[in-house]
Parts: sequence; structure tokens; C-alpha cells
Amino acid sequence: MLWLYLHFPHLLLDHVRRNQDASGALAIVDGAGQYVVQACPAARDLGISPGMRLKTALGLAPDLNILRADPKQEAWLLEDQARWLYHYAAHITLAPPDGLWAEISSLQKLYGGLPAIWQTVEQALTERQLTAWVAIGHTPQAARLLAHTGKGECTADKGHILTELGNLPLQAAGFDKKSCTRLQRLGLNTLGEVFALPAPELARRLSPELLAIIQKIQGTRADPKAPWQPPHTFRQRADFIQEVEHAQGLLFSLQRILAELEEDLCWRQQDTDTLLLVLQHRHEEPTRLRIRTTGPEHRAEVFLKLIQLKLDQQPLRAPVTGLVLAVKRFTGREAPGGQDLLGETQDLNEAWHTLISRLQARLGEQALRQLAPRDDHRPEQAWSAGEVRKPGKGQASTSALLPHRPLWLLNGPRPLEQTPVAWHSGPERISGGWWDGQRVHRDYYIAQLPGGELAWVFRDVHDGWFIHGWFG
Amino acid sequence: MSELLSSLLQDARIWQGHKHRKTTQPTESTGYQVLDNQLGGLGWPRGALSECLLDTCGIGELHLVLPLMQRVSAAGKTIFWLNPPHTPYAPALAREGVNLDHLVMINTRDQGDFLWTMENCLRSPVTGLVLAWPGQLASRDVRRLQLASEAGGNVCVLFRSRRFTEQNSPAALRLELAPGEHQELKVNIIKRRGSWPGQRCSVALGHRANLAVQDAPRVIHGRWPGAGR
Repeated sequence: MLWLYLHFPHLLLDHVRRNQDASGALAIVDGAGQYVVQACPAARDLGISPGMRLKTALGLAPDLNILRADPKQEAWLLEDQARWLYHYAAHITLAPPDGLWAEISSLQKLYGGLPAIWQTVEQALTERQLTAWVAIGHTPQAARLLAHTGKGECTADKGHILTELGNLPLQAAGFDKKSCTRLQRLGLNTLGEVFALPAPELARRLSPELLAIIQKIQGTRADPKAPWQPPHTFRQRADFIQEVEHAQGLLFSLQRILAELEEDLCWRQQDTDTLLLVLQHRHEEPTRLRIRTTGPEHRAEVFLKLIQLKLDQQPLRAPVTGLVLAVKRFTGREAPGGQDLLGETQDLNEAWHTLISRLQARLGEQALRQLAPRDDHRPEQAWSAGEVRKPGKGQASTSALLPHRPLWLLNGPRPLEQTPVAWHSGPERISGGWWDGQRVHRDYYIAQLPGGELAWVFRDVHDGWFIHGWFG
Repeated sequence: MSELLSSLLQDARIWQGHKHRKTTQPTESTGYQVLDNQLGGLGWPRGALSECLLDTCGIGELHLVLPLMQRVSAAGKTIFWLNPPHTPYAPALAREGVNLDHLVMINTRDQGDFLWTMENCLRSPVTGLVLAWPGQLASRDVRRLQLASEAGGNVCVLFRSRRFTEQNSPAALRLELAPGEHQELKVNIIKRRGSWPGQRCSVALGHRANLAVQDAPRVIHGRWPGAGR
């Protein structure tokens, strides 16, 4: 097995810098705001280095832009990286906070050798303006250690990898501090010297855990990595160092995110019709915008136009510090239009299902109804509403045997308040329902009301007059 | 003077009202010869909105679109009823020869859903006819629906209150409906494409209550023998 490890030395920095091409030094500080964690090249030129106290850094560069590191955001960012890497490799494992493993021995045939894989990954990194140190190792831990040195090589030779590892100083091996000191006291300085020690002695004198780490590096102990599964939602985030006051300023990073969405949708063979855009403000509640397209869509330019329209309608309430674009609902990509061999019936069938499912998805199943007559004398029982079914080929059995009825039936009888100006037919006596307790005993007439409408009215046993339908 | 006039008439920039161009928009016959004649021998426009403006239900407004419904359902296209004010009565529709399998009734909760649903229905190739009772509609929304309708090429009839007669609307055909004395429907064309509006006609719809043959009311008023006893 061969593993590729991507180490992102300053992921947050890359993420911020590609959303806003702002000049000026930028540094990321830790959660407590005490120490500089990452510094951009401009900041490093000014003499700022990771690990420096923030006060010292500010003394060196008074107009330094500062961003606080947020573990949650870093986790999201790492997941974003896994998402694009998943386009190239199937077996990916996250190594929080800043690394990714990809299993590549199974990909060699697909890409045509290790150098091709290496090149593909490097190219993808350049496209995304990301800095990553890449290394290949015969075990996950070996790849990781080599990547951290920043001197990874494109080789599958196990001996070469072990030699490289052997030259690493003990501090770079990722042991805990106590073991590291003890090993140094034994007079060991490189990893190679530790490899040479007999395993039982190592476990007895130092600790079994240390032995496990060493064996995992060497590959003599199993180190299974559970594959990461891409989530079924799309979520991308952009943060701005300087607050954005005009909607125009958001478009730059939206363009990038939408391009990634398009790529993601193309890759999934899916479409979407709802985007959720959340604009974060410093002191106010976030603005939530829902962007809906009329049909399933995947093109970035269409989404961008819609978002532009939406932003034109709703000016920004406050300066924006960050934005999140999320897509939760996906629909399968429809087959491209055009007639198939069987003619267009198939196509219409498909279109019917698409339309109905879309309507049902938004309005709920209960909102769509299909009507059918039922065998009953009572007008309110003589019809039923059921779920929508695809109509069959057969013609409906229409017959003039059905009695003459109005096209509108009121949802319930309504008292007749006006005196009709003309009576046209009747009475038609309808009496039934003694068998199920919903007794109906009425005389129906057709009457013209003063407003000119034709109504279906009835008189019940208590001499009350009601309207039950309209001859629409 | 006449020379001046004739030279003016030669000028292509002068529009002459009596020579209106024949429109080539696709249409569907209404099924009523009287109304078709008034509409220039055409009928309901396809790919455009039609509006019927009326005060109350029960004046024969459904019978106006019934011939079209029969044709559309026979052709296997779907008819959508959006937010009807009452229940379309299935036995009556079946009796009139409308295939109920092709009829879908939709009720929406709010205006946003309504417009979205309507737009989707209009754009779909499976739709043959959309009947909608929108209530209040902003002019902007009507224009949007008009565009959707153009994209789909379907017939769409909006039933709205007569209050909106004065409001201008991008719909291609606007009919004002009023009941007549003898159960007929008086149609006033407020707007139509390609020609002057203002035609009036009345469509006999007495048959909707099976009254075609009866001129005088047949119900006998008065004291029933033995009623007093």
C-alpha cells in the first residue's frame, strides 16, 4: 500500500487570502490571541514568524491584519479540501487539524504511474491557490512524517523511504515530549537509530505505545484508516479580512464558490434549485437569503445572476465579515432533451413525473389532488379526492348516465340569504344515508339569484334553504 | 390639401388603424362560434395569459373553458386547477366528458408558493391548460407568469375579480364576464392582441343547467293542494 499525505501548513491563511486579494501583511493568531500561529509571506518579510508573541508582532508591523484561528472553521476547511481531493482518489482519511491521507497504490494503473498522480495533485493545488507539502510513504505515518519535513519525493521505493525517515531528527518524529527526552538521554538523535533497536527492549524500557508508533511508521504493525465519506450537502465559506460594504465586493468570492459548486454538481450528476446564502455581520444577526431557480440548474453563471438580482433588491444591512453558501437539496440530473427511439411519449412521461415530484416536494403531498366520481346519491359523498396517479392510456368512462349536476360544489352548504329571482327546475328529491348515519333528506332546485348566478339550492327537512353548488 | 394628405398616407411612419396586421399567434378555439368570431376567428391564445374578470361564481365561467378542457384532456395533456374557490364537482365534469385522470387540483398556502407552482406548471411540456384563481396579483408577477407561459406555450386562464378591470395587465386577452337575463354570459373584450378591443357578445349557456329548451320557469309556485291541511 502506498499513501499520499497532504500537509497544509497554513490553510486558514490560504483560505482568507484567496477570497480577498488584499495587500498587506496578515497573521493568524491562536484562540487566546497570544501567539502568532501562521504568517503570510508579506508578514514574514517584516520579521514576523509563527510562535512569536502577538505584541512583538504588532511592534514589528503596526498595521498587521489579524485573524483569530477557529478550530471549527479549520475542520470545515479541511473537509473542503477532502471534497476536491475525492474527485481524484477514493480512499481518503482526514488527519486533523491540517492533513489528508489518500491511498494511491490502487490509482497507479488509472493515472499511469506515480508521477502522473503527483502531477495531478500538484496541479489541483495550484488551481486552488493552496500551499501543501506532499509526500508519499509506504505507511500512513511514514507519509505524514515525510510531508511535515516539506521534502517529500515521488517514489515508491520502500528502502529509499526508510532511509529518508532514518535521517529525520527525533523531534520531527511526533513522539511525546517525555519519550523524546528519554530517547535523547540514551544517546539517540535520529529516527534511524531508534529503528535499529530491538522491539521487545523498546517496549520494556520505554513504553508499548512508543513501540506501536514506531512499528506503524515502519509498517510492521497494521494501521487501518477508515475512509472518509463525502457529505450529501454542499457548504462553502468565505471570510474577509476587511469588511465588505458593497454587494459588488462579494461577487469575487461568490464566483469562486459557485464555480466549485458547478464542478461539484457536475461530478455528482445532480442539479439543485435552492441555494442558501448567509451573510455574516460583525454586530448583527446574519442575513439569510434563499435563492430559488425555476428549474433544476447547475451552471454557476445562472446562480451568479440570480444572486446579483437578489442583492440588487436587498441592499446590505451592514458590512459583511463572511459568507456561507449552502446547498441541501439535490435532484437527479435529467436526461438531455431530444427524442429517444420510442418517440416523445417517454419524454413526456418523464416530464410529468418531474413536474409532479417537484410540486409535491415543495407543497407537500396533500396539496395535490385528483378527483373522481363515486357511486352515491348524496352530493357530498358522490366524489372523492385521492393522490395523484399517472393517467393510464384508457379513456375515462364518461357517460350521460350521471345526473345533471353543477360544476362547482361548495365545501359545505351555505344558507340561502337572498330571494331567488327565478326558479328553473325542481324539486329533485335526494334521500339517503340512513345506513351510515349521515342522513340526507333534501329537495334540490335550480334557482337564479339576483346577482345573475345560477345556484343549486335545496330545502332540508326543517324547511331551511341552502346553496350547495354553482352552475359555473 | 388632399395632396398633402395622400403624401402623409404614403409615409410609412403613419400608422393607420384600419389596417391591422393579422396576428400569427397560435390559438385554441373557445368552442363557441359567437365568441370566436369576436376574437377574430381565433380563440384562447396559446403561450400567453388570458384573464377572465368576473364578480361571482356560477355565471357560466367554467362552461366558457369547458370545450377546451374536453379537448385538452382528450389529447392526454394535464389540466391544473390552482386554488379553485370551491370544489370542482367530479360527477359533473365526468358527465361533460372531461377525463378526470388528467385533472390535478392544487391548493397552495401562500402567494409565493402559488406563483412558483404556476410558473412550474406553465413551463412544463405536459401541461395543456392552467386554470388559476390568484386573488391579488402584482403587475410584476403577471409579467413573470406571462413569460413562463410564453416559454411553455400553454393556455392559461386567470379568474380574477372585476375590481381589477381598470388595472392594466400584461395578459394577452382580457374578458369581462357578466351574467345576462336569460342565463347567457355577456362577454366584453377589454384587451386582445392584434386588434381593437371593445367587442361585446353574449354566449348562450342555458344548457349548463339543462335549461336550453325551457323558456318559462317550470316550477309551479303557489299553494300545493293539501298544503294547508
